[in-house]
Amino acid sequence: MSALLSGTNVVRNYGATPALRGVDLAVDEGEIVAVTGPSGCGKSTLLHCLAGILRPDAGTVTYRDQNIGLWSEAARSRLRRTDFGVLFQFGQLVPELTAVENVALPLLLAGSGRREARSVAAEWLDRLGVAELAEQRPGAMSGGQQQRCATARALVTQPRVLFADEPTGALDVLTGEQVLGEIVRVARELGTAVVLVTHAASVAAYADREIVLRDGVLDPTGLGLGVAR
Amino acid sequence: MSTAHVLLGLLAGGPRHGYDLKRAHDESLPRAKPLAFGQVYATLGRLERDGYVTESGQDRDGGPDRTSYELTDDGRRHLDTWLSAVEPPAPYVTSEIFSKVVVALHAADAERARDYLVAQRAAHMSRMRELTTAKSTPAASIGDVIAADYAIGHLEADLRWLQTTLTRVAGLSKEVTN
Amino acid sequence: MRPSTLTRLAVAGSRTDLLRTVLTALSALLATVAMLCAATVLSVHGWADRYTNPLLVEPGLRPGVAGTLILVSLPVLALAGQCIRLGAPARDRRLAAIRLAGATPQESVLIATAETAVASLLGSVTGLVAFIVARRQLDRPNFYGQRVLPTDVLPPVPVIVVLVLLVPVLSAWIGAFLLRQVIITPLGVVRRVRTRGPRPWPGLLIAAGVVLFAVPGQLAEQRSFSKNTIYAFLGAGAVLTMAGVVLGTAWISYAVGVLLRRYGRGPVTLLAGQRLITDPWNGSRTMAGLLTAVIAGAIALAYRELLATEFRSYDIYNAMMGWSEGGVGAPDEPEFYYGAVRLVMVAVALVSVVAAAGVLVALAESIVARRRTYAALTATGVPRRTLSAAVLLQTLTPLIPALLLALAAGDALVRLIETEIPIGNEFRECVERGLGGCEAPRHPEMATVLHVPIPWANLALLGGGALLAVLVAVGAGLLVLRASTDLEELRAG
Repeated sequence: MSALLSGTNVVRNYGATPALRGVDLAVDEGEIVAVTGPSGCGKSTLLHCLAGILRPDAGTVTYRDQNIGLWSEAARSRLRRTDFGVLFQFGQLVPELTAVENVALPLLLAGSGRREARSVAAEWLDRLGVAELAEQRPGAMSGGQQQRCATARALVTQPRVLFADEPTGALDVLTGEQVLGEIVRVARELGTAVVLVTHAASVAAYADREIVLRDGVLDPTGLGLGVAR
Repeated sequence: MSTAHVLLGLLAGGPRHGYDLKRAHDESLPRAKPLAFGQVYATLGRLERDGYVTESGQDRDGGPDRTSYELTDDGRRHLDTWLSAVEPPAPYVTSEIFSKVVVALHAADAERARDYLVAQRAAHMSRMRELTTAKSTPAASIGDVIAADYAIGHLEADLRWLQTTLTRVAGLSKEVTN
Repeated sequence: MRPSTLTRLAVAGSRTDLLRTVLTALSALLATVAMLCAATVLSVHGWADRYTNPLLVEPGLRPGVAGTLILVSLPVLALAGQCIRLGAPARDRRLAAIRLAGATPQESVLIATAETAVASLLGSVTGLVAFIVARRQLDRPNFYGQRVLPTDVLPPVPVIVVLVLLVPVLSAWIGAFLLRQVIITPLGVVRRVRTRGPRPWPGLLIAAGVVLFAVPGQLAEQRSFSKNTIYAFLGAGAVLTMAGVVLGTAWISYAVGVLLRRYGRGPVTLLAGQRLITDPWNGSRTMAGLLTAVIAGAIALAYRELLATEFRSYDIYNAMMGWSEGGVGAPDEPEFYYGAVRLVMVAVALVSVVAAAGVLVALAESIVARRRTYAALTATGVPRRTLSAAVLLQTLTPLIPALLLALAAGDALVRLIETEIPIGNEFRECVERGLGGCEAPRHPEMATVLHVPIPWANLALLGGGALLAVLVAVGAGLLVLRASTDLEELRAG
């Protein structure tokens, strides 16, 4: 059986600076994979490439046997309101919209009616324990509450893959643990695969397995600098 | 020795006998090494000698004699002192992992140390994953969770050290090969 | 995406967004009123002596009046388009977040432009109401039933509808066009940067413009052109020259930047110079409206000087001949022609004010777009004074040469038509052809040649006015800089 999502020899440069120098990775249905490594190793770039936010300069990103690296920007964007959910450290909520509108956004963009989208969004806020925040704007929420809303938004479309980039990086240990626990719990319930980018071993421990990046390449030993020679 | 202090703490709630104390100890410190009966009685004996506890009664409902102990005023003061005393922050480093890496660098080479570090990291990570799963289950008690937190915190510190050492050792082997 | 979703996302915004909406609506209002006025003037038919204003009476002059009104509405429209970038950081964040939630690039541009369209529609409808109310109020025929303004005619209803819709559509289109310079990604908004410095090829445009403009005047002897051909040549020449000056500003900016970097001392020249080198097109973008207005103004002033010289030659000739009534030259009083020139100058002044507002908007936008750099510089101890001086320097150093170029180009174009007017043409021809009887002129004035002077004072006034407008805009922009260097900006995601 082929993997749900896979990257083959993914290369991505920023100008003359290489960020990814040929990374292979496969994610199965419902699997939680942690991507770790030191700062600047290319883990966020890998997540952006896999999520279709960035187009790799070389190599392929395959989702359900389709090379989404070849898709148009618009087609890859539409994937984010059906099959992919995205969760960042902060800043993914629209500051001017209320929590329930933020969560409803992917559904609205996909063409749902306002009432229907809002009721689904409200259910999701409830599922993540922040139902009472429905009419609040992100600015009035704590970091943990914002991340719960962001999780609700990332999962409202019941995506097949959730891309989480340091989702608890801006939170204190306890709040982070609670939010991460919720993310993992709901993802397991939905059977959603998770690509979890983090530099913290304690966060990576929530995953089924871990891959380590170093200087834009996979480090098969988990760590160790000698590999890239 | 802190087993004595833990027993004093458990007795602060009221008189208990030895078997009771052992069970309470193992329950409240789930990830610590379980206490042996012999150790319970030996410790209680020492505490009684020092005047921190005293026998409070016998009961014998269908079984062997059970001696209950209770805290004396001296014992309560001793416990208070211990609870508010600041522990010296680890004056000596004693760790198997640490010693092993140092010895590997002396007795063998950087490559050997590196291999060991990689294997040790994998073991640490898998233990950490187990603990994380254990504390994430809905059935986990508060004791389970804080015990797992404590263990995870230490594993994390080890992992950070492993990572840094690995980077240093890799630099070392590069210097040697160059 | 349903229309209701589009509307909700388009009007989601904070106070800055409200300011932008108001400005957009206001400029749409002005543009609509100007165009409705133009259409009204064009709706007057035939010799209309029911007006007291001679510009409205003659059928031949009314297109000029309408054209001038449309000329005024163009920079206003450009302003509406420029407003789309106002309050950009919050909007950038919002658009990026919407993109991350799955909006396609087209949808995010649609959301951004829908807001402009809605605001413009609001403005243009208000403009229509204001226009209708004003024409009621101003409709005061005198004793003979004559009116000052054409308040008795209305353009046909379809034309009105088209004009009211035209402004929102145009401003949305301009806004979308300006948004092409930015890429709204889910990770943030990126500006396209050109890596190569600009070349001085716009100089060729100016040269071509000058040649085209000169064709009718220089070749008039050899062949005759129809009136429309002459207009086409003059118009094309003027437009090419304007484009050349506007685009050439980029090269000027770049060259000035290089000079500042090379010879400048201190952080102010360093910051300003590097800014000019990094984004030389900023000047062209910001100053386009103003420079165009200045060229138009310079042309009008030079033409006024040409007319004045011509009238002077008629006066001398008539005096020489002893004619007191009639005689050669303008049948009507010169005041009429001056009036037309004055109308153009009023238009130029209006355009300049609007263009200065555009400069302010663009300047504020460019400051706000780099607010983090400015905030970081402030945090590391660069005084705000230094930053303000750098902004002032980077605006003025390319502007002054560009203004001089614009003034020179405008004046030069008209000078290509005529630089000297001889009083006695018949006498000169007679002398040249060697015909007899004219060796001793009866009037010594016959030999005089009047030179068309360069209107230095007026040109200086025009350039100074434009400079002042920009200075005011920069002053207001520096207030934005003050707000942008708030250390809070370092925290904003």
